[in-house]
Parts: sequence; structure tokens; C-alpha cells
Amino acid sequence: MRGRLDASAQAPDEAGDEGRVAPFWEGPPRSVGAAFLDLWRAGLALWSVFIRTLYYTFRGRREKGDVLKYALEMGNRSIFFMTVTMGFTGMLFVHQAAYQLNQITGDLQLVGAAYIELTIRDLAASIGGVVLATRVGAGIAAEIGSMVVTDQVDAMRMCGTDPVEYLVSPRFIASVFSGTAVLVYTAFIMVVTGMISANLYFDVNPKIFFNFSFVDWHEVLTGLVKCVAYCAAIPVVSSYCGLSTFGGSEGVGWATTRAVVNSAVAIILLDAIISTSAFFIFY
Amino acid sequence: MSRMGDAALAPVRSVGRSFTDIALQTGGIAVLALQILRRFFPPDIDMRELRRNLYNMGNRSVVIVAISSFFVGITMVVQATILVQELGAYSLVGWGSAYIVLRELGPVFVALMFSGRVGANNTADLATMVVTEQVDGLRALGIDPISFLIVPRVLAMIVMCFTLTVIGDAVALGGAAIIADRMLSIDIYVFWKGVRDLVHMWDMWLGLVKSVGFSVIIAMSSCYYGLNVSGGAPGVGRAVNASVVTSAVGIFISDYIITFLIG
Amino acid sequence: MTRVEKRFGRTWALRGTDLTVPEGCFQGIVGPGAAGKSVLVRIVAGLMRPDSGSVTVLGEDVTQLGEVALQKVRSSIGMLFQGNALFDYMTVGENVAFPLRRLMRLTEEEIRERVAERLARVGLGGFEDRIPASLSGGQKKRVGIARATIAHQPLIIYDDPTAGLDPVTASKIFEILKAEQSGSGATVVAISSDVDSLVKYTDRIAIMDKGLVHFCGPLSDAYTHEDPFVPAFLSGEYRRSA
Repeated sequence: MRGRLDASAQAPDEAGDEGRVAPFWEGPPRSVGAAFLDLWRAGLALWSVFIRTLYYTFRGRREKGDVLKYALEMGNRSIFFMTVTMGFTGMLFVHQAAYQLNQITGDLQLVGAAYIELTIRDLAASIGGVVLATRVGAGIAAEIGSMVVTDQVDAMRMCGTDPVEYLVSPRFIASVFSGTAVLVYTAFIMVVTGMISANLYFDVNPKIFFNFSFVDWHEVLTGLVKCVAYCAAIPVVSSYCGLSTFGGSEGVGWATTRAVVNSAVAIILLDAIISTSAFFIFY
Repeated sequence: MSRMGDAALAPVRSVGRSFTDIALQTGGIAVLALQILRRFFPPDIDMRELRRNLYNMGNRSVVIVAISSFFVGITMVVQATILVQELGAYSLVGWGSAYIVLRELGPVFVALMFSGRVGANNTADLATMVVTEQVDGLRALGIDPISFLIVPRVLAMIVMCFTLTVIGDAVALGGAAIIADRMLSIDIYVFWKGVRDLVHMWDMWLGLVKSVGFSVIIAMSSCYYGLNVSGGAPGVGRAVNASVVTSAVGIFISDYIITFLIG
Repeated sequence: MTRVEKRFGRTWALRGTDLTVPEGCFQGIVGPGAAGKSVLVRIVAGLMRPDSGSVTVLGEDVTQLGEVALQKVRSSIGMLFQGNALFDYMTVGENVAFPLRRLMRLTEEEIRERVAERLARVGLGGFEDRIPASLSGGQKKRVGIARATIAHQPLIIYDDPTAGLDPVTASKIFEILKAEQSGSGATVVAISSDVDSLVKYTDRIAIMDKGLVHFCGPLSDAYTHEDPFVPAFLSGEYRRSA
């Protein structure tokens, strides 16, 4: 419990339950209720980190080169990983779609067009974002978490420095740029491997596959907004998880876990919000 | 060798090293899998540990799986509607979202959540036990760590991942139906008719077979990295990270292989 | 500070602790493990908030301040952490320069000069470009001390400066602390579980156990204090019986 974020500092109140055994039917409702309460508290603390990050992004003092360093690190760390996982995913999606269409209509003319549209509008950003979160988010939480448990974050605060300013905001900027670039690259990889799959197993001509007629400007815009939103969410959520680490090296392991899961949840949530709003704005 | 040659060979060397690393880890996981399989002939499973693990893992992840599946369902029905609008056939919305949720996204997202929540925690748990010499303590007491620690966890993870995928599929489809009805003005009956008439049972079973495959991968990699932790306390964090990343890669690659073989 | 209370769940760390530290003195705080010493200094430094009570540091009640005002108070406190908390991705020189860069506006030249002077003072002249991982435990402590004192804050807190060090290194560290204090005239609060070395260097001492301060005053009064725990702890009888 040492040196936690102010926003998340709450002493667990267990005094009321002393010496009472809960009947079994209270178990599930209680754990669901506790989960929602935790979610609410975490949401508030997260919001405070986000606001402070934004503030320091525009107002704070930054060490020269930090942003570039983090951006390169994130890109390097994730590019190979993303190529492998998302390459397979691209092949898989086209395989699924073409297989199904072969059974229903047997006409594979529009597979490429529909797939490219869906990839740009949603799949590249949201699946890529979740995968990116396991790599980048875990790294951020582990770095910041181990600084928290060794008191380095407190040492920073003693020097009049808000850890959000010094640690979170450069990572935030770096991730918004390099993460978005990685996700755009992911879309490219998915389209290319999808084409390979369609060509190899279903004999679709690459020229027919690369059909961009379904792609409007607003689809590209929706995809880009998603990329930027996810890449902004990953560092904020993961840093929050890192900053609220407690309890030694085991705590760092926990923080990493929470960073990965919470970033993924944040991405899925943002995906639903952005997709639904885009639907009502553009269709 | 000259310094120039050294510098030129550095990328080759690092690629080679990462390949030997991958080979080493895959081999280690395979050996662990054999060791686990041997514990089933004759069955040597600690039932109390199994029950405890089932309870903990399910309890820990059911809320998060339900919430994220709900939103995946929403997103998919919106995407399906956009695609179907171009074709003008609203009866296909139910089929489109059910097809992609049941076959692909349901199992994959539940597995990613499960790996982040349960798999990572399992690695941290085992790694801490190794670092603090609790595993050696078990051996000293004459208790086989594989049958006491690993087998119940692996079994519990397979059962739970399967169950959670069923729950996740149901929540995602329910969410999709509600959103289709309330926000996209596609009657819930039309949605359901699309699901009932066009989705085969096999689509659902394929997804569930996948979830079993994913859970085996998550279980094996999380146990492997937990048991093979090195470097004391900071090693625990590295082990967790490696386990989550390996699970994610494994999930996507096996997704492809399973679909390709039996889909 | 008066009647400070802090608890974690059901465990009380501080149970109505009172303590006054006069300006410009070298205050030692000793006590057995889990007495609440570290929690106490963390509250003083504004890194933790107590559940009740008030804490006045340098004329400001830190329990009433918001985060921004608190940052100002923290800036005038130098602190050495139990585990040193050196930034492990920076060199020694950058570590020591960190408070200067964040708290003052100085030119690179001035910063370099002051870092060199400070490192020489703790006996680590020329170590600027080493990384913390390559240093021994005693050397890391000295870097931590250099970082805590470089900005000439009026209040310096040392959280267990001799933890995990052998007795010879420990007494060297205490000598550095004492020399620092008499040189700068800052108020110094040092926590230690190593009573025997600490009493050689401090002028005032506080003795804590189980979240309470049993004695606080000049060292010479402690041996004849009416609470039997105090002289017993100092002479080592308590520790032998425990």
C-alpha cells in the first residue's frame, strides 16, 4: 500500500464483516457488485490520469528526446509481433469469408472489396489494437510499476515532479504517433495477407481482390479515429495500472496483467462507441 | 573477426538467436505437455486443488468477459448492418453477426481476455512460488509439483475457457439482438430468424473447438513461463509478459490452423 | 505533528502519534521493526495522507493542502528512500542532477559544477557516468544522499540510511550525514533501526514502538526517562529479551 496515486488512495474497509460467514447465495451478487464498484472507482482515477496527461501534453516540461525514444521503442517492440499475428488473422478472415461465399453464391468478385472495407473501418484497428495492448501496454505497466515499488516514483514526487508529467505524457505522445503508424501498417499487412490467402486457396486474381470501390473517405476517417483513440487509451490505461502498483515484484506482475486486460476492455468499449456513432453520422 | 564483420553480422545473429529461443521454448512447452499427459495414466489429480482453481478462475473473469463480449456484439452488429445495407437484405444481419461472433471473434476475444486475466495471473502465481522456493519445498515434502500444481490448473483453465466462451457467445448475441432492435430498427424477430435459419450448429461447435485449443495454449504457455522463471523478483514480471505475448501469438496462429483444418 | 493516526485495513500503523522536531537539529527516530517509522516520515513528506490528525511541516499543515500546494512543500524537502530509489535508467550524474533540473532554473554548466561538488562531498568524485546498477550498496546510498541534499532544502529526511550495510560502512554514512547537517544547518530527520550507531551522531532522539512515540527529546534525558521501555531499548536490554 505504499506510495500509491493520490487519486486511487482508499483504505479498504473491512471492519464491518468481522467474524461473519457469508451464506453462499451472497457470493455471486457480491462479487458482481464489488466488480462494478471497483470498475467505477478505477474509472474515476483513470479519468484523473487522463486529464492530467492531456494537461501536461500541452503545458508540461519534457526532457528532450524522451518522446522519440519511447516511440522507437514501441515501434521496434511491436512490429515483428504485429506482422506475425495480424498476418495470420488477415489470411484467416479472407479464408472464412471466401469459404462461406463459395457455398452460398460461388461468386468471389466482391470478397476483396468487402474485406478491404471492413479491415480499414474496423478490423485492423480493433483487433490490432487489442494485440498491440498486450505488447505495448504490458511493457509500459511493467516499467512504471517497477519504478513505483522501488520508490522511484515517490522520489520523483519529492523533486516537485508529477509522475504523470514525467512518465506518462511522453509515452502518451509517443504512442499516439507510433502506435497509430503501427496500426496503419497492420491494415496494410492484413490486406496483403488476405490477398495471398484469396489467391492461393480460392484463385482470386489480385487485381480483382484489390478493389477499393467500397472505401469512402468517411471509412478511412472512422478507421483513423479508432487507431488514434486506441493508441491514446493504451498508454493512459497501462500507466494508470502501473502507477497504482503496490506490494513488491508480485505487484508488478499484477499491474501488467491489469494493464493488458483493462486496455483491451477500453479498446472494445471505444470500438462500440465509435462504430455506433459513425453509423449514425454517416449512414 | 574484424569489427566491421561483427557489426554486419549483428542482425543475422539476433535473428538466429530469436529463432533458437523460439525453438527452445516450443520444445520446453512440448516436454511439459508430455509430463502433464503422463499424470493422466493412471489419473493422478488433486480434486480439491482443481475445484479451488475452477472457482477462482471463473469468479475472476466472468464479469470482464461478459462486459467485453457485450460490446463486441454491439460492434459486430453495427458492422454487419453497414455491409448488409449495401446488399439491401436485412434478414442477413442476424446471420452475419452470429457467424462472425460464433466462429471467430467470440472465441478469440474471450481467449485474449482469459489469457490476460487468468493466464497472466497463473504465471505470476507459479513464478512467485518458484522464486520463493515453494516449489522446491513441495518436492522436499515428496509431493509431485506437476500433479499437485500444474495438472489442476491446466484442467481448470480448459474447462473455464470453454464455459466462458459459451457465456461470451450468448452475451454477445444477446447484446447484438438488443442493439439491432433498439437502435438499428431491425426487429428482434428478424434478427433471430436470420440466426436460426442460416447459422449451422457446426459454426458454434467450431468456435467451441477453437476455444479448447486456445485454452490449451494459454494453459501450457502460462505454466511453462511460470515454472521456468529466472532472475529473482524482476524475473516474475518478465515471465508474465512473455506468457501473455506467447499466448496471443499462439491464439492467432492456432486460430488459423484450426479453421484451415476443420473449418 | 499531533495525534496522527493511520491504519491500513485493520492494522494500525500510527495510533495517535505526537512528535515535534525543532528547526536546525539532527533528529533521530529509532524503534524496532514495524513501529511505524517509515509511515511517519512518508506522511511528513506528503506522500501519504493520515486518516486523522494534523501534520505541520515548515509552517504548512500538509494534511489540509491540495496536490499542487503539496508539491511546493515537497520541493523543500530532500529525501533519501529506504531502497535509495535511484533512477536506474539514468547515470549517477543525471540522478544527482535531477532535483536541480526539476526545481531550479540553472545552466548546464552550473548543474555540472554542483553535481561534481556534491559527489565529491560524499566521496564519489568522478562517478558521474557510472550507472547505479554497477555500484555497491554503500555507494548507492551515497548517491542517494547526494541527490537528497543537492538542492539545499531546509528539511532533509533519511529513511533508514544504513539499511543492509555492514557496521563499518554504516558509521561512514552517519559521519557523512552529520558533516552535511553541520555544514548546511538544515533540519535533519533520520530513521534507523541501528540504535547504537545512530545515538553517537544525533543530538535529539525519538523512540517509537507499535505506532506510538515513547520518548522525544535530547539524548541525555533518554537514559533516565521514567518509561522503562526507553532506557531499556537504548541499552539493548529490550532487544535481547525480544
